[in-house]
Amino acid sequence: MRLYILRALLVKEVRRHLANRGGLALIGLLIVAALLLSFFNPNAAGAAGQDGMVAETGGLVGGVHHCFIEYGRVTPLVRHLQKAPRPPELQETIRFREIPPSQVNELITYPPGVGSIQIRETSRDGRPVLQFHVWHPKDAPGAMAGYEQWFWQETRRGLQEMAVHQLTAVGADAGKLGQPQYQDKNLWAIAESFHSLSREVELIRSLAPGPVASDKPLLPEIEIRHEALGGTPLDLRSAIATAMVVFSLYFTCVYLLPTLNCEERERGILLAQALSPASPYEILMAKFLFYPVIGIGLAALLAGIYKPEVLSSLFFWLSLLSVAGGFLGIGMTVATLAKTQRAAFMGSMCYLMSVALLLFICQQNGIPGLPYLALEYHGPRILHAAIVGEVYRNHWLHLIAAIFLAWCWVFAAGWLFRRRGWQ
Amino acid sequence: MSDVAIHLDALRVHYGHFAAVDGLTLAIKRGELFGLLGPNGAGKSTTIRVLIGQRLPTAGQARVLGLDVVRDWAAIKPRFGYVPDRENHFEEFSGRRNLEFFADLYATPRTRVLECLQLVELEDAADLPVRGYSLGMRRKLLLARALLHEPELLYLDEPTANLDIHSADVVHRILRERVAAGATVVLTTHDMDEVEKICDRVGIVCRGKLVALDSPLALKTAHTEHKADIETTLHERFTFDLDTAADRERLAELIRAGHVATMRTREFDFHATFLKLTGQEFE
Repeated sequence: MRLYILRALLVKEVRRHLANRGGLALIGLLIVAALLLSFFNPNAAGAAGQDGMVAETGGLVGGVHHCFIEYGRVTPLVRHLQKAPRPPELQETIRFREIPPSQVNELITYPPGVGSIQIRETSRDGRPVLQFHVWHPKDAPGAMAGYEQWFWQETRRGLQEMAVHQLTAVGADAGKLGQPQYQDKNLWAIAESFHSLSREVELIRSLAPGPVASDKPLLPEIEIRHEALGGTPLDLRSAIATAMVVFSLYFTCVYLLPTLNCEERERGILLAQALSPASPYEILMAKFLFYPVIGIGLAALLAGIYKPEVLSSLFFWLSLLSVAGGFLGIGMTVATLAKTQRAAFMGSMCYLMSVALLLFICQQNGIPGLPYLALEYHGPRILHAAIVGEVYRNHWLHLIAAIFLAWCWVFAAGWLFRRRGWQ
Repeated sequence: MSDVAIHLDALRVHYGHFAAVDGLTLAIKRGELFGLLGPNGAGKSTTIRVLIGQRLPTAGQARVLGLDVVRDWAAIKPRFGYVPDRENHFEEFSGRRNLEFFADLYATPRTRVLECLQLVELEDAADLPVRGYSLGMRRKLLLARALLHEPELLYLDEPTANLDIHSADVVHRILRERVAAGATVVLTTHDMDEVEKICDRVGIVCRGKLVALDSPLALKTAHTEHKADIETTLHERFTFDLDTAADRERLAELIRAGHVATMRTREFDFHATFLKLTGQEFE
């Protein structure tokens, strides 16, 4: 690597952008937008309490489109719920998820539009207690109604099955147990129906012949809690700041880099440079250095204007580097596949559109797993968390995923370069 | 040091099943101004692409300045200059800035930029953006760029296309000066007058094969036909091949008998020689 050649190539890139002022105009526009966003803040930034469960920001529509039934271990009640018939509209929207008891009190983050009903087992005065925590979106306690109606009916039925089994085991006449009433949607009435079942079971049990083995009730005590998911509701200002940071990285690495690279290739300028003493690696290194550095610099400037303290956050810089690395890989992949400037432009635009649509569809239809493969799923989340200063365990996991995906993209770009040739 | 600058040995380049260069063997001496001629698709540009390291030979070998073009490309690159058939400048830069960028890559002093601009008579337009240049000015800028580092070897693809007579003469003068300074120049062109005027030797390729190799004068002498078209007093028309004794005798008899009303001689030029060697029709 010869420094004088690298310097000449970098100076050339700078001069090209100074001569074609389109990129500079957009950079100026972004900086002005960041200044406006920062200095004309109508409200102080709101903080949110962060105990319990949080909902991620970024939902595009209200309501709950998916519900998790979460449990610490597979009990007969859980098995009953898993096998219980569901209304057609809930067939695909209820998901069962085992959460180890050690993690049940840790912070769990749900994607936008997702609620949960947690089944927790505990005990009080030696009697088992079954706690049902219904986590609904903030300010929308009724959003879980459809799931709750099914859940309470089947839980009541499951407990009835348990009671029959227990009564039979102690020699009581389980046939005396009345059938549950399912129509009531009132929470108090539901809780009362569980209590009445327990009282009825104990009464039948007391009528059983022979001595009573234990004075402890056969059924666990039931507790129902409705709780709002925590987390900050999507703050539009921080979302705009995050969008500008992501856009600046995307613009430099996925748009500018491939289009200008392909323009040089299309016009034969790349060939002229290739025939000079500059080696292919030096030419590529200059491009690898210039665009991500400009992108990272601009992104840091925009984030710093919005919230200066973010610049001292290690998480922010790691997020920025991982997203910039991933976008660089995507940009170089587009640059390798596209032969002309127009094809590069189309490639970067098509990539953006297809990933945006994919993420939107996955969110709306609750398609699991697939969004995790997109850098654009993790990138905005970690950058937003860094900018608002609310970094949790799940954000570090997003960061690891982003670093891995960035590595994959850079590897793919390198592999394509070797196969297709850099010109 | 060998006096051969370029040595092609049974060079083959295939594009799929099509043989663009088919066993070309050729040696170009140092300090020679060599013209590579041939009809479209003959393999000239492919040969140049192999020489500048932009196309791998399918078979055979190409050695430049004693080095293998494939294996030693990085060592050869700084020693040649290349003028492509299609101009490739940074349009938004001025002519001077274009040259300065390449001068920096070659680690050549900036003073050389002005020298090269003066050489191709572009010093007055040096600070104008290239997007405002005419086609001829762009081609002269290409030549200036190729001369920046005073290469030992110059490849030129149609160097005088779109140039006016004066500018073409300037280019010819520069090339002769480079050759006089010991450089080797290889050019492809369709301008037969240019070939006759400046080339020391000419190689004519057709369908990827070398069909003739000699100086323009020797080729012309060897292949030119002399003919005479006459019209007799009886309005009959005849053509006589002046290279054959029988035809010369018959023509002499007709003249002596006073039957020749008009006569026109034809001496085929280098253009015709080229067409004859490449198997094309002369019109």
